[in-house]
Amino acid sequence: MDPDLIVNGVVAGSLYALVAMGFNILYRPTNVFNFAQGDLVMLGAMICASAMALWSLPWFVGAALALAAVGLLGLIEERIAVAPVLRRSASGHAWVITTLSFSMIIANLVGRIWGPDPIAVRPPPPLTTETFELFGANVSSYQIALVAATIALAAGVESFYRTRAGKAVMAVAEDREAALLRGIAPESLSRWSFLFGGAIAALAGVLAAPLLYASIGLGPSLLLKGFATAAVGGIGSNRGALIAGYVIGLVEALAAVVLSPGYQMAATFAVMLIVLLIRPHGLFGHPEARSV
Amino acid sequence: MASTLRALLEWPHLRRGLLIGLCVVLYVAPLAVGTEYRLFIATQMGVYILVAIGLNLLNGYGGQVSLGHGALVAIGAYAAALTMVDLHWSFWPAALLAMVMAAGVGLLMALPAFRLSTWYFALITLGFAEVIAGLLTEWRALTHGFAGVVGIPAPKAFGYAFTARDLYWFVLTLVVLTLVGMANLLNSRFGRALVAVRDNPVAATASGVSLVRIKIFAFVLSAAVAGLAGALFAVQKTVITPEDFPADFSVFFLLVIVLGGSGRLAGPVVGALVFFLVPELLTALQSWRLLIYGGALLLLMLYAPHGLVGAAEGLWKKLRARLGLPNIPPTPVAADAPIRAIDGAQLSVRDVSKRFGGVAALASVDLDVAPGVTHAIVGPNGSGKTTLLNMISGYYRVDQGAIAVEGRRTENLAPHAIARAGVGRTFQTPRLLPHLSVLENVLLGAFTAEKHSWLSAALALPAARREQQASLAEALRYLEFVGLRERAMELAGELPHGQQRLAEIARALVGRPKLLMLDEPAAGLSLAELDRLGELIAAIRGIGATVVIVEHHLELVADICSRVTALERGAVLASGAPQDVFSDQAVVSAYMGAHVRIGEKGA
Repeated sequence: MDPDLIVNGVVAGSLYALVAMGFNILYRPTNVFNFAQGDLVMLGAMICASAMALWSLPWFVGAALALAAVGLLGLIEERIAVAPVLRRSASGHAWVITTLSFSMIIANLVGRIWGPDPIAVRPPPPLTTETFELFGANVSSYQIALVAATIALAAGVESFYRTRAGKAVMAVAEDREAALLRGIAPESLSRWSFLFGGAIAALAGVLAAPLLYASIGLGPSLLLKGFATAAVGGIGSNRGALIAGYVIGLVEALAAVVLSPGYQMAATFAVMLIVLLIRPHGLFGHPEARSV
Repeated sequence: MASTLRALLEWPHLRRGLLIGLCVVLYVAPLAVGTEYRLFIATQMGVYILVAIGLNLLNGYGGQVSLGHGALVAIGAYAAALTMVDLHWSFWPAALLAMVMAAGVGLLMALPAFRLSTWYFALITLGFAEVIAGLLTEWRALTHGFAGVVGIPAPKAFGYAFTARDLYWFVLTLVVLTLVGMANLLNSRFGRALVAVRDNPVAATASGVSLVRIKIFAFVLSAAVAGLAGALFAVQKTVITPEDFPADFSVFFLLVIVLGGSGRLAGPVVGALVFFLVPELLTALQSWRLLIYGGALLLLMLYAPHGLVGAAEGLWKKLRARLGLPNIPPTPVAADAPIRAIDGAQLSVRDVSKRFGGVAALASVDLDVAPGVTHAIVGPNGSGKTTLLNMISGYYRVDQGAIAVEGRRTENLAPHAIARAGVGRTFQTPRLLPHLSVLENVLLGAFTAEKHSWLSAALALPAARREQQASLAEALRYLEFVGLRERAMELAGELPHGQQRLAEIARALVGRPKLLMLDEPAAGLSLAELDRLGELIAAIRGIGATVVIVEHHLELVADICSRVTALERGAVLASGAPQDVFSDQAVVSAYMGAHVRIGEKGA
């Protein structure tokens, strides 16, 4: 196999894993799968890019701005689109439509404000997107940093779930009412997780921007690829997200070469359907508990 | 004034009269005001309504959110257009192919999602729409790419080609027939099963409904309707290109039904009407379309989840109440049906064990219940009584051991299959469908007793109607049996707790269970209700069914049961006649400490 192909697959896969981790963080305590996540990622990239291009702010100020703003937007989403429908029926699925509506609103507004042209983003120095040869493949220092940062983030999030606060999150995911009886407040956990989920989405966007450019087109495609990654890895499992990200990134890179770039989405989708047919809860997921 | 209005509202054929009048107007209109432009718009609206009716079955009644119906329409349109233009097929086989293709491709894509949560389905259909949109431009050899398919001929019948007006009438007829068929279907066992799967999957499986099969049924039917609409879309436009199926096409249909009223029969029609009545607004604000769609969906979901039709229903009820008219429809009449005897089944549980993580919930439990016997399972909280019921009815997997009903092994069957084998049950918290009437809840129990197909239900064939009448008679008879006939037409969610239990027992009985299992039926009942329950269980035994009852109320157990098994910490402590078990030293000390004897307190 062409070494460049592997590099492309692993780098793209890391981005998908980042998006999937955003889904997971949000999903665990709320059992809500945020349909606006792709647009939050896109908005993170746009804010960071604009801060750097328009106000010539340094990379990490732009990144911090994006994290804060999108985290806040996540919180706003939870307040207006998720909490009201969950209050009406905790087990209902009205949030599928309300988070989807929220995503359409963000996409339209961002499109009106920024326009359709992609914005180029430089990586933070000393990292560059200039490639050099390593073991016969062309890689850039930014790509290496991105892959490493994703692995570190996955490890960090997993170790959080082993702390006391992390266990509270798991308890709410398992049984909202029982957790309530143990003094865990699901409402506030749900707010926090939208805040964090939003910030992680922005981080994914900020990290993706130097490679993919910041553009409104990022939203829908990252929603679907992030979902495919989360589903193949097992919803809620961040280790699964990492591995599934690589799998999907490689499948996609391969499909672009063997078939044509137009068939990438079809190939990703086919892989996901096959995995779900064999293992409905993904590679590392657990079936949901039954309630009788 | 008020009295004329009341007389009008009370006229029994009001609804039917209005609908027939509306139909006549719609059929005659093109003769009077049928300009070409108007006909085009009206036909297109009819095609969209057709898609929305299908989506409403899936989303409104089945609770599954499909974000891929636009792509299914595209598949139908391309299947019909390509076969008609490239292969010179006539419209009729092309339309059939469009339906089969949409249903088949859709099914293939959604198959893994049926075992998973609803939102997987939404995302998978969304991804599927994206894939199809890509293929329409990418797979040029088949689809002609961006150029699209040009020169799609009008449908022909006996050598006569449809004019624009004929096509309008044809689409209108299809819409009317689909609506009537849908109304029949929703009123049948399939409609109730679909709502049960949406609102309370446990109630559905306990009545013998297979969740996967009913979801597949709803999706395939809904996809086939979308495929048919696609074929009509193609012949109406005569040219189709990938741009006819934009990314937000699917969301458009979702918005149509949410706006009109999701889960309301007229919802898709009303929603599409509103959309087509404000086209000027939409063209002026084209670039804000997503924002408008998104904002409208969000507001509707938050403030009017049942859409315009739901809001109108609310006003209608208020109006009737203001005029002093009842809002509860009259109980339908049915022939008197005698309660038929049931052959009770024998139950045998052999060496069954169940562990939850490190905790042994049941440890090699044996239980034998002879046919027609009323057998109680008693024991302190956490002794494994409900776990045992859940294993017999298939809700928990059996780790070890064997369970047989009438000699037939059931331990590896799914809950709905066990229900079909004649095992009925009730739950500690009644599992009713709160938005359906008590009668409809009880009729759900007849799901497996009725045998007619969905097609004969949709067409209201005599055989299906006969069966439905028989179920209705039976359901009313059992409602009388449990003392709820007067409340048959009220919403189940509005009954007090004790009566919900009785309704649940009636639902189980309509399925004519050979083995009926009741989980703490006496919990939370008043004294009067308790007496009634005792009589009821005695009457059920009188019909012949085997009854297994988990109960804390020992007086009740001593009164009505001929055998008792006492459990403690997952093991059988004693089993036998009530007086023997209740005087067993181990049972007494497990239950209430060492010094109390049950018989001595004058029970």
